Amino acid sequence: MAPSLSLGPPRLLKSAGFRFALLFAAMFASAAIALVAVLWWATAGALDRQTDAAVRADAIALAERWREAGATGLAEAIEERLAVDVENEAIYLLTEAEGGRRLAGNLDRWPAVPAEEGAWFRTRVLHDGFAAEARLHRLELPGLRLLVGRDESEREQLRRLLTEGVFWASGAVVLFALMGAWLLRHALQARMRPVFATTAAIAGGNLGSRVALSGRGDEFDRLAQTLNTMLERIGTLMEGVRGVSDAIAHDLRTPIARARAKLEDALSEAPDEPALRATVEQGIADLDAISRIFQALLRIAEAEAGARRAAFAPLDLSLVLADAAEIYEVAAEARGQHFATDLPPQLELVGDRDLLLQAVVNLLDNAIKFTPPGGTVQLSARRVAKGIEILVADDGPGLAPDDRSHAGERFFRADKARATPGSGLGLSLVQAVAHLHAGELRLEDAVAGRTPPGLRVVLLLPSP
Amino acid sequence: MRMLLVEDDAEVARFVKKGLQEAGHTVEHATNGRDGLFLAASEQFDMLVLDRMLPGGVDGVRLVETLRSQGNRTPVLFLSALSAVDERVKGLKAGGDDYLTKPFAFAELLARVEALGRRPSVDAPATKLRVADLELDLLSRTVTRNAKRIDVQPREFRLLEHLMRHAGQVVTRTMLLEKVWDYHFDPQTNVIDVHVSRLRQKLDKGFDKPLIHTVRNAGYMIRAEP
Amino acid sequence: MQSLLTPPALLLVLAVSATAEPRVTTDTAEYCGSLVTRLAGMPAATREPSRSLMAEGVRLCDNGHVRTGIAKLRRAMRAAQATP
Repeated sequence: MAPSLSLGPPRLLKSAGFRFALLFAAMFASAAIALVAVLWWATAGALDRQTDAAVRADAIALAERWREAGATGLAEAIEERLAVDVENEAIYLLTEAEGGRRLAGNLDRWPAVPAEEGAWFRTRVLHDGFAAEARLHRLELPGLRLLVGRDESEREQLRRLLTEGVFWASGAVVLFALMGAWLLRHALQARMRPVFATTAAIAGGNLGSRVALSGRGDEFDRLAQTLNTMLERIGTLMEGVRGVSDAIAHDLRTPIARARAKLEDALSEAPDEPALRATVEQGIADLDAISRIFQALLRIAEAEAGARRAAFAPLDLSLVLADAAEIYEVAAEARGQHFATDLPPQLELVGDRDLLLQAVVNLLDNAIKFTPPGGTVQLSARRVAKGIEILVADDGPGLAPDDRSHAGERFFRADKARATPGSGLGLSLVQAVAHLHAGELRLEDAVAGRTPPGLRVVLLLPSP
Repeated sequence: MRMLLVEDDAEVARFVKKGLQEAGHTVEHATNGRDGLFLAASEQFDMLVLDRMLPGGVDGVRLVETLRSQGNRTPVLFLSALSAVDERVKGLKAGGDDYLTKPFAFAELLARVEALGRRPSVDAPATKLRVADLELDLLSRTVTRNAKRIDVQPREFRLLEHLMRHAGQVVTRTMLLEKVWDYHFDPQTNVIDVHVSRLRQKLDKGFDKPLIHTVRNAGYMIRAEP
Repeated sequence: MQSLLTPPALLLVLAVSATAEPRVTTDTAEYCGSLVTRLAGMPAATREPSRSLMAEGVRLCDNGHVRTGIAKLRRAMRAAQATP
């Protein structure tokens, strides 16, 4: 096999499975990022809102306390709140508005906050020796300044937690993506392997090879089925070609040998030039006959292989039959036969016009050949449940039931027909044309019980 | 007529060239598609006779397609060993005017070449065709001989029309099948002869001079002189 | 958890911001003392569970575990307030 046909697994980056997996991993990662974002806004945001609500409630309560008990009461309330702050997150600072003397609280000084910040702001404070984020609320009371707030270390921790989570999750995503890529690639390769094996076998000359189906009925099975159908088709075509070569080998040699013998004989035996000339002319006629047989064989092969289905077109069979009748009526009349037709005005069909005419012509030609002078040849057509029937009947000797099954074989000639000229290919072609149109050929007695019974050929063509 | 024959088989080429020259034509010969295309494109010919399959990378179909794309409208007759119908259709689609399958009788080739080379002019369609005292009126679809009306079937009318359009030229049986009946098929027997003889009987009955003549080994010809 | 981000970035932040940022004062040994003083003024602090929580808080503060000590003392305070 040529090196370009080597069918090893493709390189990782070229592998379709790997690329699919990367795509899925990217989608998975995007989904994970979206999830983290939503999670962040839901948790940290909720925490923020909770903190603000608590601080606001605390500030309102302290302001109330100041109205009831003044600055001293307020300072005492702050110290009390600090004393029971088990969570260790409350921040308070109460100073005098003038001079900034510290009255109560747990901040050592007023934070340096830019004036443009509103009553709510964030700043960093030192807590337990570490810098921590704090949410603060500034409150102005007559002669006093009050700061109420909460240490937001918890929010920091949450962020750290989420960051860490995302970090590990991304690792997991990459790991799963790689594993998925590997699995997908192997699954694809395993499913494609029968196809590769079969096509390689076909390329290697084993035309009988077919793709094994998994029975799952999935896309791969459908691909395999399509491939198998294609291979069947190729097989049929090859069969047709082989049929022609067999026919050439067995049956064209005889007329060629006959023509050759005649020519050779004339070369040595012909008494004078006119006799030689006559034999040469006969030789040319023999060759023409051979090439007509050859042409007929090719047409049969083409029809049997279905290669002519490309030439299918919608047509009115009635017109084709009328043409055939018109062409052959004169031939029948020239032999003193009656020619009767019974055709409906219209018969729509999809098919190959030239081949259908050829088939009918072959039938008419047979019928005319075997009907004695004074007899009748009939061409009729009718619409039946299954499609369209073309009937050609004659008053000839008919065909023995035993011979009927052989009638479609190439070069078959019934014993009674030996004396009549013909190649024995006429009915083969009709049969091939019938098969090409998914139809069938039936031979029967024209008039049962009569002697001779005559032959009726029925060509059934299913209409779409 | 001045013709170009492109055919790679030396024996067939010699046979065709000799025959055409004997019929009074001038024949140039090329053995491959490339030379053929060069000659056809650079010189003036009345007719091209091309083998369908040619060596040299340019086959008959490509040659015609190239010529036609350059606006060259010289009539083209294909010779081919490929007989399948779609091959014929391919050849005609590419711009060929007629298609003859090998093996062929030289008479068939000559008849087709002359029919192609003297195609009736399309510009001024005649309404009446005349051969000696036989007249065919295309408008009223009537046939008269010596002013006497002759009854013909529609198909006989078309058969006669075709013969008269090519008066003085040989028309073969296959040409009649293709042009008058418009089918490509093998008639098995001599049905065309039967049709022609029926027509002949109608035309010549009561007249001394026959008009439709049988040309031995070739076909038929309509002409005034025997 | 803290160790994840502490050195050296956070130390740098500490050094730079030591003067600029306000400091929380309720995490010192002095505050331990002030909480103990405050508890001593509450009669309920002599009862359980405030008493043992307070004792543990004092011990932790004395041993230098100021943060946990303060947490214990605050729990003791809360328990004392809850008891009538």
